[in-house]
Amino acid sequence: MENKSYNAFKTAQQQFDNIAGHINLDSGTRELLRVPMREYHVNIPIRMDDGTVKVFSGFRVQHNDALGPGKGGIRFHPLETIDTVRALSMWMTWKCSVVDIPLGGSKGGVVCDPHHLSLHEQERICRGWVRQLARDIGPVRDVPAPDVMTNGQHMLWMLDEYETITGAKYPGMITGKPVGMGGSLGRTEATGFGVVFTLREALKELNLLPENTTASVQGFGNVAQYAIQLYTQLGGNVICVSCWDQAEGKSYSFKKKTGINLDELRGISDRFGGIDREKAEAIGYEILSGESWLEQDVDILIPAALENQITKENVGTIKPSVKIIAEAANGPTSVEADEVIKSRGIFLIPDFLANAGGVTCSYFEQVQNNMNYYWEKDEVIGKLDLKMTSAFMKVSELARKNDLYMRDSAYIISITRVAEACKQRGWV
Amino acid sequence: MKKQGNDNQDLLQSLNERAKELQCLYKVKEIVNKDQQKIKEVLPKLIEIIPMGWQYPENCCVRIIYQNDVFASDNFTESKWVQKAELKLKGELVGSLEVFFIDRDNHLHTPFLAEEQQLLNSIAERIENYLFQRDIQISLDQWEQARKDINSNVKADWMVILELVEKMDSNLFNRICRRMLNRLCFLGIAEAQSILGCLGMKKSCDNIMIPQDVNIPSLKIDFSIHDKFYQHIFKIASRNLGDDELLAYLNKWIKEDKIGFLVQVLENTDTPLSEISAAVSKYHHLNNSHFEISSYSRCNINSLFIQRLFTDQIEFIKFSRDYLDIDDFYSILQHSVYPNNSHGKLGGKSAGLFIAEQFLKNAGIEVMTPSTWYISSDFMLKFIYYNNLEEALEQKFKDIEEVRADYPNFIQVFKNSNFPIDLLNGLSMVVDNLGDKPIIIRSSSLLEDRYGTAFSGKYKSLFLANQGTKEERLKAVLDAVAEVYASTIGPDPIEYRKEHGLLEFHEEMAIIIQEVVGEKVGKYFFPSFAGVGFSQNEYRWSPRINKEDGLLRIVPGLGTRAVDRLSNDYPVLLCPGNPDIKVNPDPLEAARYSPKMMDVINLETNTFESVDLINILRTYGSQYPDIVNLISVFSDNCLFTKNIYQLDFENDDLIFSLEPLIQNTDFIFRIKQMLHELKDKMHTEVDIEFAYCRGEIYLLQCRPQAGSLDSIPQPIPKDISENSILFNAKKHVSNGIIDNITNIVYVNPDAYSSLNTLEKLERVGRAISRINSLLPKRRFILMGPGRWGSRGDIKLGVKVNYSDINNTAMLIEIAQKKGDYLPELSFGTHFFQDLVESSIKYLPLYPDDSDIIFNKTFLSGSGNILSELIPEYSDLSDVIYVADVMKEREGKILRILMNEDINEALAYFATPSSQESSASVDIYSHHTDKQEDYWSWRFAMAEKIADSIDVEKFGVKAFYLFGSTKNANAGPMSDIDLLIHVDDSCEKKKSLLLWLDGWSLCLGRINYLRTGYKTDNLLDVHLITDSDIEKRTSFAVKIDAVTDSARELPLRHKSD
Repeated sequence: MENKSYNAFKTAQQQFDNIAGHINLDSGTRELLRVPMREYHVNIPIRMDDGTVKVFSGFRVQHNDALGPGKGGIRFHPLETIDTVRALSMWMTWKCSVVDIPLGGSKGGVVCDPHHLSLHEQERICRGWVRQLARDIGPVRDVPAPDVMTNGQHMLWMLDEYETITGAKYPGMITGKPVGMGGSLGRTEATGFGVVFTLREALKELNLLPENTTASVQGFGNVAQYAIQLYTQLGGNVICVSCWDQAEGKSYSFKKKTGINLDELRGISDRFGGIDREKAEAIGYEILSGESWLEQDVDILIPAALENQITKENVGTIKPSVKIIAEAANGPTSVEADEVIKSRGIFLIPDFLANAGGVTCSYFEQVQNNMNYYWEKDEVIGKLDLKMTSAFMKVSELARKNDLYMRDSAYIISITRVAEACKQRGWV
Repeated sequence: MKKQGNDNQDLLQSLNERAKELQCLYKVKEIVNKDQQKIKEVLPKLIEIIPMGWQYPENCCVRIIYQNDVFASDNFTESKWVQKAELKLKGELVGSLEVFFIDRDNHLHTPFLAEEQQLLNSIAERIENYLFQRDIQISLDQWEQARKDINSNVKADWMVILELVEKMDSNLFNRICRRMLNRLCFLGIAEAQSILGCLGMKKSCDNIMIPQDVNIPSLKIDFSIHDKFYQHIFKIASRNLGDDELLAYLNKWIKEDKIGFLVQVLENTDTPLSEISAAVSKYHHLNNSHFEISSYSRCNINSLFIQRLFTDQIEFIKFSRDYLDIDDFYSILQHSVYPNNSHGKLGGKSAGLFIAEQFLKNAGIEVMTPSTWYISSDFMLKFIYYNNLEEALEQKFKDIEEVRADYPNFIQVFKNSNFPIDLLNGLSMVVDNLGDKPIIIRSSSLLEDRYGTAFSGKYKSLFLANQGTKEERLKAVLDAVAEVYASTIGPDPIEYRKEHGLLEFHEEMAIIIQEVVGEKVGKYFFPSFAGVGFSQNEYRWSPRINKEDGLLRIVPGLGTRAVDRLSNDYPVLLCPGNPDIKVNPDPLEAARYSPKMMDVINLETNTFESVDLINILRTYGSQYPDIVNLISVFSDNCLFTKNIYQLDFENDDLIFSLEPLIQNTDFIFRIKQMLHELKDKMHTEVDIEFAYCRGEIYLLQCRPQAGSLDSIPQPIPKDISENSILFNAKKHVSNGIIDNITNIVYVNPDAYSSLNTLEKLERVGRAISRINSLLPKRRFILMGPGRWGSRGDIKLGVKVNYSDINNTAMLIEIAQKKGDYLPELSFGTHFFQDLVESSIKYLPLYPDDSDIIFNKTFLSGSGNILSELIPEYSDLSDVIYVADVMKEREGKILRILMNEDINEALAYFATPSSQESSASVDIYSHHTDKQEDYWSWRFAMAEKIADSIDVEKFGVKAFYLFGSTKNANAGPMSDIDLLIHVDDSCEKKKSLLLWLDGWSLCLGRINYLRTGYKTDNLLDVHLITDSDIEKRTSFAVKIDAVTDSARELPLRHKSD
């Protein structure tokens, strides 16, 4: 009997099969790209603080490294399954490929719940993971990064273990390190700015001047704030922004017809982008329901919060004025809503292109590590602009020429690039 | 031949002589060498022996002259033939030794041999030796004697003391003598035992004397005629004990006797506090030499002190008396204010703090306590009498609704009252003493913090900035004291006391005035942080945390936010036994759920304020005490510890994490040690309040932690079919069983959150309160979204007070995931303790989790009886669902089994348990084992009353029974609740009530006789009229109520 429960890897494979059909990919390449090239399953014995030993399962899945060393996060999750890791590694391959950075796709993790582990134990897990996999990762093979429940501290432990084993300094072995310990400047801004670099190009494409446009943004976190900042600098006008109210457990939209003032809102929001409702009201913001951001008469919608926000239920509330949707969040549009958007002819900048600023900056981090020379923030942002812009141009050009939906166009470019590399290397 | 024969003869004779001489010498030697012989004994013996050494012994006589003494043979006569040797001692001539030959026949010449002179010289030499030794011995003896004489002339210290005592204080002298006798007997000294023997005692085993166990009175010995007898005792003592030992005993006993006055003062329950204070002060000054008191008298005094100052609770006294120093009471009394003739106490909170401090001090654990003053409890009564507010004392017997209505008014009345002059003076002195440091006025009632009933948060504690002129400061203190006094008659404490059968307990309120720990930072005043600590962790966020690991809730600034439940803000949670297992291991989570606000005292506006933590940090930065140990910097998705030079207070993303404190200081170790020690010494789980400032931990409060009486884990059946299950749970499950639930009250989370006005949200709370008062106690469960009793943000949970939910058997919080965060559970708060103490079980449900059954179908079924139960709230029918389980499930009830060991709970519909037991067992009631039948005779009596009532005379239309008697769950103290439908005639009502009053008193007496519980009136009568029934006001709702309706009893009409 077929298991009907959701399987991320199957979904990813279907997505791939779909595009592979479009581009008429040969069966050998299809077969290769449908599955990861290498999978490592390791067991990591850890001496716990209380003296007992527990064995943790760890993974590293290297989907494809035809374009360069693998790139992808390490997740600490108690319910981790190999299929999730496989799917995520495949998505990493497409993401790196679409922005044309010379990196492949990987993902890894350890089945554990940091809620029940002390920091010392987490450190031992990190080092144990590296000890098991040191031969198969590294700056020229596969470069891990922080993901679910891991952060810069974990990365530094892993780096240190790797350098201890190899007996040399390899800061490019891992990314997501704190600034000063090999991290890159501009990381905070990268994703938000990246979204707007593509948005700017999209506006050019649609012959719109930013100063004549308005936008509505879902979310007021890091990505949203920097996106608003750059878009406003370009002359655009954000008139509505929604955010999650931690205390109330629901979201609200904040609207100002004349345009929101980013600094003003930053001043009354918490670290996580929760805007103080009373204070906002006091300075003239209209408080609307959490869904209202979608229903605004604007030119641009930027969903920059969670996945599955634009659904078949609410997609109909999108006003005819909307010309561009820039997916700053991961998977904000459901499959059904995507169809509607496509049919309405709204210009969509797909998530894995729009928010690829993050991985691009990781790439820059590694580049700086490898040459052991660090750029100023301006330089990082400048290079990011270049990378994002040219990636967008490629995707939109293909879309325009072939009358493709932007999401499909992005996938085609991305998969073609990987397939081509495999072919040129003589693999298939 | 003959010549040769002669020569041989001569030789033989000569040899004979030599042998005799030697024999003599041996004898002499033998005599003088005998030990310890006196000269007068030795010399005569020698005189007898010496002649045997001579040729003609029978003709010899001997004379020895020694100093002035002459010793001579019996037959002594002088003659011309004499041999003589001088006797010398230390070179001086002291006498002579002479041997005379008595020539009776006059025929011999030279009767002496030359050898005989030599023999004489040898003997003389022996004698001289003897004399010399003798002389030395005598000198030694004399010296010893002289020494003894010297000693005996200077009396031993103990004798001087004893004589002095005999002269000065004959009673004390007698007591000392008696004790000495006992002591000697105890040491097994026979002489002493024989004395005691003549006092009617006999010797028993182990040298301990016990009175003869005979059933005739023992002979009375008149001690007064035994003056000499006492001296005799000490003579025995001096023979058997060393001087030093005796002196030590005397010192000890005299000193112990000195504190007799203290015992006297304390034993006498009439002694006012002032005298006790004077006595302890006298003791304090006596005690400068720091002498030791026997452990038993210390115990006695300590337990008397505790009873007098704090509590009569045996447990408390038992655990604490061994660890106190009498001088400790000196300091507490020096800091107490009490009226003349006071017999007040200092209350539970004072006791907890005081005892905890001593426990820790004893264990060598460093802890500070802020400067504290105590106002004795009887000042409250004095205050009430002084202002003729006696009516306030009756509040507790009123209905809770009335109490609630009266309360705000009473607060103002109290605040506008005058203070008795002595209290005023006392407070004025306290204000002077504490200067202008911020203070907190805390309640410390007699009921508070007793074992088993931690009265948490029921009474008020008020912060005062204490700034301004003395008049201003005093005025503020008076205001606060009045308000704290008024809180004794607030609805919450009264409800609580009703619940726990403590209404009859004589409640008084002592007050603690305590300096607030902290320091001035800018215009604010606060400590580095403060918090509460629990020795038992009732909230474990990881299976790796054990109950015994304890729990800390810490907030920056004043501790109010750690005690109260917070909405929209979070305390730092730490497990002292396992600090490495964090609640929020992810730095981003840790940052999100770190404290954002802090409570401070604003010294400029004289107010207590909640302010933004980040503003304080940005503005005052390094002035904030201990700041480097409190904060981490969030950057690059990591938390970093930085030193003071690295910290950029203006720009860094500062997180109140306490991480440096945990990693780099011994704070966790110290607090763990404290909790451990207190738990150990108090023989119960404890909770403490503390503050931290400049590296010091200040203990602010300590009391037993409620809820350590655990229920038994219940086996979870696995064969229950899914449609019989209401829900199951697999997280944070405790132990116990909730049985025979007849009603389920469910607040639908989605419907609740969709209510769009504050008014509607608040109405839900009021409706719950009404339902709580109508449904049978402990027979229903409350299920609702998020956090019940949310104080700040109503959206997070239904706004209720403890008294609005106190009848439920279980409180269930449905935690629906919001993003990645699960709502904070209700723990470590006043509310939680209320639940634990009332045995209201708490269970969180996570319906989103896999493997969890949550029967939404049942909970949104058609059988909502809300609109029948409370018609005025029928508009909330889609929000609140009230199910009558028996009706919906054909006579079945709901049973909830919980098992902490396997972390599972199951609620399912089942046939009612056969035995009539209350849904949950009140752990503090005395009747947990068997539910005695208190109801059936009450029921019979109610029927009897109904039957004998004169319906015409009293205008009675119907007679109903409700409450515990009707429900068959009456306890020994329960009322019989009657509802009587009467004519609206004042006259008839009056006479009916009078008639019922008689019944009530009689039944009260019967109940007393049956149970020993004093209840003056057993009937609780509610009269209702037609209009009540029509409007369904007051108790009229009970008639034909949907659940737990009143039962009509038949009346006898005249026509019958």
